[in-house]
Amino acid sequence: FVRSLGVSVVGTAALTREDIAGALAQLKRRLMERNVAEEIAEKVCESVAVNLEGRRLAGFTRIGTAVRAAVEEALHRILTPRRSVDILREVRQAKARGRPYTIVFVGVNGVGKSTNLAKVAYWLLQNDVSVMIAACDTFRSGAVEQLKTHCARLGVPLYERGYEKDPAKVAYEAQRAAARESTDVLLVDTAGRMQDNEPLMRALSSLIALNRPDLVLFVGEALVGNDAVDQLTKFNRRLTDLAHDQTQAHTIDGILLTKFDTIDDKVGAALSMVYSSGAPIMFVGCGQTYVDLTKLNVKSIVRSLLK
Amino acid sequence: MVLNEMGQKISQALAFINNAETLDEKVLDACLKEICTALLQADVNAKLVFGLRTNVKIRANNADKGAGLNKRKIVEKAVADEVTSILDSGVDEKKLTDLKKGQPNVIMFVGLQGAGKTTTCTKYGAYYKKKGFKPALVCADTFRAGAFDQLKQNATKMGIPFFGSYSETDPAVIAQQGVEKFRAAKHDLIIVDTSGRHKQEEALFEEMRQVATNVQPSLVIFVMDGSIGQAAFDQAKAFKDAVEVGAVIMTKMDGHAKGGGALSAVAATKSPIIFIGTGEHMDEFERFEAKAFVGRLLGRGDWRGFVDK
Ligand SMILES: Nc1nc2c(ncn2[C@@H]2O[C@H](COP(=O)(O)OP(=O)(O)OP(=O)(O)O)[C@@H](O)[C@H]2O)c(=O)[nH]1
Ligand SMILES: Nc1nc2c(ncn2[C@@H]2O[C@H](COP(=O)(O)OP(=O)(O)OP(=O)(O)O)[C@@H](O)[C@H]2O)c(=O)[nH]1
Ligand SMILES: [Mg+2]
Ligand SMILES: [Mg+2]
Repeated sequence: FVRSLGVSVVGTAALTREDIAGALAQLKRRLMERNVAEEIAEKVCESVAVNLEGRRLAGFTRIGTAVRAAVEEALHRILTPRRSVDILREVRQAKARGRPYTIVFVGVNGVGKSTNLAKVAYWLLQNDVSVMIAACDTFRSGAVEQLKTHCARLGVPLYERGYEKDPAKVAYEAQRAAARESTDVLLVDTAGRMQDNEPLMRALSSLIALNRPDLVLFVGEALVGNDAVDQLTKFNRRLTDLAHDQTQAHTIDGILLTKFDTIDDKVGAALSMVYSSGAPIMFVGCGQTYVDLTKLNVKSIVRSLLK
Repeated sequence: MVLNEMGQKISQALAFINNAETLDEKVLDACLKEICTALLQADVNAKLVFGLRTNVKIRANNADKGAGLNKRKIVEKAVADEVTSILDSGVDEKKLTDLKKGQPNVIMFVGLQGAGKTTTCTKYGAYYKKKGFKPALVCADTFRAGAFDQLKQNATKMGIPFFGSYSETDPAVIAQQGVEKFRAAKHDLIIVDTSGRHKQEEALFEEMRQVATNVQPSLVIFVMDGSIGQAAFDQAKAFKDAVEVGAVIMTKMDGHAKGGGALSAVAATKSPIIFIGTGEHMDEFERFEAKAFVGRLLGRGDWRGFVDK
């Protein structure tokens, strides 16, 4: 996109806002076309502008080239996780301490929590880790049967108490059942909820407070637009605000980005989610079968964003 | 409603033009920037948004050339026309929602994975049941784990007869059986729920075409999640190209999203939004009137009158 900005400055004068304004406006537009939230696109451009302003370019560097390089670097920096979580290692550590490692899947409605929970179960089984699943979506019709089907296919035990039960309690009992049966990992499915739904966010916060999971995975779909920012921000904020003991609040540890196979090159939600939460994308769901779970490829995301 | 937030910003931007002393390039650019940002923040398709900006600017420039014309009015009308063309399909939604009793209306629901089809099918059935129709639900989703149980539990809750199978794997076969059964039983509203699918997987689209061929729907409804972003337009268009999408239902409008992505589906399918979903419960479902909405959006009671001037 910056190729059209063929103007080159010879390396004497320092760059001004005006020099880079055109290239940045095009960049912002490109990012938004690639489904980056408006607010995030603006912030990335702003940080690149601050970074470039006053800089002197080496002889015969095109402005477009300089802006592109700065943007590429910024995107890499944002998407590269600051903290990395090695789930398999953590699972072994928990096992050594004689307790099941618990992962809770959270997110808004219909993003793919239950399906990708089943994919994670499959991945764990491939790594010789034993798994139990807890059916803590006790609200949505068919939610329990959905997990029952997955468990039967995967040959994994399901802990369920039917519908209309308190999900926090079901998770609690499931944890005890998993401990009794020396299961390595307990995967807790929860009902989808809108980030502004106060009672439901409160219930989620109770579930997490009561059960102290090892990992809270936020499941978000790659299809989501500007709402990605609000989802991540509010889930984190609500989990903090509503925690019984705010110093012990457990917020989002990682992101599972789903439906990556439905968006072509419009990969911007990945950037919006990571930027808004600072949490790493730990898994990427790219299809509807158990094997459709991969790791994030930062390079290819950046390439798609700038192509 | 959430969409109104976007409308307020557009009205503010238009008011800004009206209050400016002179309508020069700078004022126009500032106004257009506001409008475009509001639309982009609401997930309206970026190409449509930038197209709007270009078109309004062209019309404003032409106004400069034409003598004696009121530029303010021209810009205002240009903005209004462009926004309307994004939001309004031009199809009268009443024709799609005023179903005729006593004849078998076969309605097929399609859409991306997790958009809310199964939930909305039952809401839709319950809505017409209240109006005196005799609805029935057919589960043609043989793929998703627990899909039939989900539909069954929803249908039972609302007292609507349903049909499906745990063993048959061909959705087109089940769909046909279900529709035939309910036709014979003189149901006047037969709703067919299908699996979630996306344009990148051709086999899934082929399956959808087969279901449509077998049930010959009188209306195909495209269900779209209100929080969808820039992928909306292309996906919606692909659905429209594969089956005769005639209407759109936008779901999850109780969330924080402004619904602009789903609005792009209107442009892509040339079909109106007829209902919106505003919650997980079966009664959280409302009629959507695009014309009234566009009118409110631009702060005018009688929007039609303005456009046609
Ligand atoms: N194409 C595609 N579809 C997916 C992916 N992950 C999940 N899905 C589909 O998305 C739909 C919703 O998935 P669920 O797992 O039921 O979503 P959920 O978040 O548990 O939904 P609720 O519990 O109702 O909030 C299903 O049709 C899944 O098959 C993915 O990576 N790619
Ligand atoms: N908050 C809210 N949730 C909704 C609404 N409509 C549907 N949902 C929820 O969205 C999730 C997905 O809904 P489904 O009806 O299973 O979606 P679907 O399109 O049938 O999914 P697939 O069959 O897997 O493609 C469920 O958790 C529903 O309860 C709505 O208007 N508001
Ligand atoms: Mg679920
Ligand atoms: Mg469904």
